[in-house]
Amino acid sequence: MNYNPVTALAIFGIVSFLLFLIFRPEKGWLWKWKKTSKSGGKTLTEDILKQMYHLEDSGKTADIHILRDALKVNEGKLVYILSRMAAKDLLHIERDRLILTKSGKEYALSIIRTHRLWEKYLAERTGYDQREWHKQAEKMEHLLSKEETEKLAEKLGNPIYDPHGDPIPSPKGKTAEFKGIPLSRLSKGTKGRIIHLEDEPYHIYEQILKRNITIDSLIKVEENDKNRIVFYSEGEYFTLSPAVAENITVSVIKDEDFKDPGYFRLSRLKEKERARVVSISKEMRGESRRRLLDLGFVKGTPIKVDLKSPMGNTKAYLVKGTSIALREDQASKILVKKEKV
Amino acid sequence: MEKEPIDKILDLAEDLRWKIGDDFHDKLTEGIYADASEIVSNVTRSENSGGRSRLDTRIDRIVTSKTWGFPIMFFILAIVLWITIVGANYPSSLLSDLFLNTIRPFLKDMAVQINMPWWLSGFLIDGVYMAVAWVIAVMLPPMAIFFPLFTLLEDFGYLPRVAFNLDYLFKKSGAHGKQALTMSMGFGCNAAGVVATRIIDSPRERLIAIITNNFSLCNGRWPTQILIATIFLGAVVPQYLSGVVAVSAVIGIAVLGIAFMFFSSWLLSKTVLKGEVSTFNLELPPYRPPRFWKTIYTSIVDRTLIVLWRAVIFAAPAGAAIWLISNIDVGGQSIAGWLTEMFNPLGFLIGLNGVILLAYIVAIPANEIVIPTILMLTVMITGVAAGEGAGVMFELDSANETVEILRAGGWTLLTAVNLMLFSLLHNPCSTTIYTIYKETKSVKWTSIATLLPLILGFVVTFLVAQIWRIFTG
Repeated sequence: MNYNPVTALAIFGIVSFLLFLIFRPEKGWLWKWKKTSKSGGKTLTEDILKQMYHLEDSGKTADIHILRDALKVNEGKLVYILSRMAAKDLLHIERDRLILTKSGKEYALSIIRTHRLWEKYLAERTGYDQREWHKQAEKMEHLLSKEETEKLAEKLGNPIYDPHGDPIPSPKGKTAEFKGIPLSRLSKGTKGRIIHLEDEPYHIYEQILKRNITIDSLIKVEENDKNRIVFYSEGEYFTLSPAVAENITVSVIKDEDFKDPGYFRLSRLKEKERARVVSISKEMRGESRRRLLDLGFVKGTPIKVDLKSPMGNTKAYLVKGTSIALREDQASKILVKKEKV
Repeated sequence: MEKEPIDKILDLAEDLRWKIGDDFHDKLTEGIYADASEIVSNVTRSENSGGRSRLDTRIDRIVTSKTWGFPIMFFILAIVLWITIVGANYPSSLLSDLFLNTIRPFLKDMAVQINMPWWLSGFLIDGVYMAVAWVIAVMLPPMAIFFPLFTLLEDFGYLPRVAFNLDYLFKKSGAHGKQALTMSMGFGCNAAGVVATRIIDSPRERLIAIITNNFSLCNGRWPTQILIATIFLGAVVPQYLSGVVAVSAVIGIAVLGIAFMFFSSWLLSKTVLKGEVSTFNLELPPYRPPRFWKTIYTSIVDRTLIVLWRAVIFAAPAGAAIWLISNIDVGGQSIAGWLTEMFNPLGFLIGLNGVILLAYIVAIPANEIVIPTILMLTVMITGVAAGEGAGVMFELDSANETVEILRAGGWTLLTAVNLMLFSLLHNPCSTTIYTIYKETKSVKWTSIATLLPLILGFVVTFLVAQIWRIFTG
């Protein structure tokens, strides 16, 4: 047959490159096209409402410039949508300041409710990684109807907090009190419990996750100056920059509630040491949590390291006479206390 | 008026709900678990409380040690495969002698005596009977050897240790350590490997294991690989090297399969499967002497016969199809001839030929009948004098004759290499596809499991063919 293999390779290269452009995750043309084609004004309206609510909640007021920068849309479109929103009585415009009306606020809260419920759903019922939750919820918040949201809430047992520790507004627009203080503002020696990990901006959230800082952990601040914050938690010392610490919220507790001292993560248990299980971290969710309980990882169970895998990471622990292998990220979410010999 | 108190109660209820907090359920569940385990420890007594037997610990220290863990593992796998491949030869040839050289002529005679028309006896005996007999003869012995061996290891308690040793590698590609077992099981038979994924209780990792099982070179494909490697690759090097080259080529293909398994596991866990629930844990049960006869019985009945039965069910219609396309003429040429012509351009593009592609389509029930079908079709289309006529599959004892037929069909070294690659990377056999559907109950996952290796196969053979042609001019 008469053909040139080089041409064939070139055609193959071009076709696969095109397929890559169209289908590549997140940035593919197909997803972009899907996004723009059906969003219309609804998505933008709801994003504006959410943005304004967060601004007002933190004591600031919105104006066109802030919104334009936060949402990355062109000003013409923004002005058009804002005027339509004003006509629907979602907000009113005072000179260049934008203020939510009562119905605007309610609308915003319902969007936030859907967002946080969806994150809770992803955390409890699916295997999506925590890095995915926010992105997916950003899409779903515009798609679920009110009835669907309520059905979801019921299925999840009407949760109060989302997996990051943010309160989920009730259907009536009520939110739980939130009395945490950013870690960056705590002075040396303060003890507390981590109640919230902010998932925006992503690059800071990524750092929090990388350090394996988990919600609901007890901490003690060891050092705090303008360069770094050091705190002790679950057998380890963590050093953070103030920018990262800013995004971790802690609820301060009294000294007598800080009963921690000897607690540490199972992943740090050394061979030949004996310990007892104290608790399973809140970050261990849904099916995985139940499975651990089934296997006997319950409060008070004696535990020790049985075997180490030759390639590291996975270790077998002896629990109730059975050897059970867990991976390091799982073992780091089980708290134990050393047994006195 | 009535409404007010109700509203108040509702508000109060909601207030209280906030106050109780979110982890109320978790705390309650854990409390129940903890109480239950305390009660158990108070009222029961066990012989080796809290510990494992000395011997177990000692064996574990060796089989999971850094120095011995891996050599022991590879040694055992190699032994099992070797016993299977070598040990199956004798009973296989015995069976095929019985089915093809004794029973078949007898059936043919009977057909003549009762004046059966040639097309009916051809259809039934040369088509349906041949395919079924062939599948049984080549599938039964290796499975009847492999599965009991494997089940004995499982029963003894060694296999979970393999999963434990290799877990890190599988974790890196988003899979479960136990996939090492289902993968090894796949070396015996992919359908059985798919069934074996039931030991993985985490939904996501189980799907990964199911979809990627086909990358384990199964019993039906080892003989193909060995034959082609011996007669084509072994022939291009000096005599004294040919054995080594052939063996390393086959092992290379198997290792390539493992590489593809890791790669596609990783790909799947990062894309289509990332939302599936994932829970890892691996129990290392105590060692115990295997219950020999029970193991033999269950592995023969539960694994071998079920798989064989499914293969036979699919082989019968395939045999009929093979015979029909070879014997029905349309416009002066058999259907097989037309189809071969149609597939030739695509076959050429990926360094194969139309006959091979057609053989892979009609021989979908079992990889074992691919080579006989290729030989039959090649003979029919080229007109070389060999075999027993249109639609009758055959294989030759002599390697030289086989090479000659294939060369007459236009085979080159490239065809041989790409056939080996395509044999590794193509859709699973129909038995496996059906089993995947049974296990997942999902058309979506079944299609992905079917198409993913096929697409990879086309891409890989295409690239190899182009690069080969550029370099050889």
